[in-house]
Amino acid sequence: MVKIKSKIEEEINAIFSTDRPWITIVWDDPVNLMDYVTYVFMELFSFSRERATELMMKVHTEGKAVVSEGTREEMEHDVARLHEYGLWATLQHGDQG
Amino acid sequence: MNQSHGFIRHGEELFVAQFSDSEKEVLVNLSQQIIELLAERVDQNDQDPLAAMVGITTHDSPPDDEVLLRLLPNAYADGVDASEFRRYTESVLRSKKQAHAMSIRTMLMSSEDGSIELNHDLANAWLGGINDIRLALGVRLNVEKNTHEELELLAPDDPMRGVYGVYSWLGWLQGNLLQALMDGLES
Repeated sequence: MVKIKSKIEEEINAIFSTDRPWITIVWDDPVNLMDYVTYVFMELFSFSRERATELMMKVHTEGKAVVSEGTREEMEHDVARLHEYGLWATLQHGDQG
Repeated sequence: MNQSHGFIRHGEELFVAQFSDSEKEVLVNLSQQIIELLAERVDQNDQDPLAAMVGITTHDSPPDDEVLLRLLPNAYADGVDASEFRRYTESVLRSKKQAHAMSIRTMLMSSEDGSIELNHDLANAWLGGINDIRLALGVRLNVEKNTHEELELLAPDDPMRGVYGVYSWLGWLQGNLLQALMDGLES
């Protein structure tokens, strides 16, 4: 029940928020080790190892991957944390991705 | 160079390694260089003391230096947005990266026999710090363009050969610490 309620709240917030969606993109980089990128995703976003590995592989093979989405402020926070750990990240409006 | 056996997990949350004197020296020196490189740009003319106090920098242009630009990249493709973001965040990013390098440097300098013991938070600081050194060396080695095969074939008297040796060793060390950290995680 709690789950359903928070889901509904999330939907309502999304409808009324004009500041959605923004996305954080991580770009491929020849220096960062694959294991390191996976580990940073797990640490910063609490992703499962499986999900983090999947995203890392997307960065590696496709050149980039969207790792999070939300408000502009949230994405700026994510990008700052990714930069702290040396990943090459940018944020932008979701529809440009 | 590969005298250290790298990091080994001890119990739940400790990662220990033993470094030789030369390994210690390399890590301390490179960490020191990162700390100095990340020292705040001082623009005497437009330094606003109040802004500096709250971590806002008065400069907002991307760094000219290629290495610094890789360590402090643009957050937006758009130049105006990137400048605005940099103005409010670059100073904090510099200090965080300096803190990572500082933990490598101070721990090694205070360890007489080269033994190091990291908890989870310190391991993250070391990973970030080692990564910044690798990013810096990677720019100098131009790993964007040069393949590892080409770098392996550098002439023995080429100064970049030594740099590549250190770069490779740091990659090994970082991978090894990651392995120790990931071994304890649920997959």
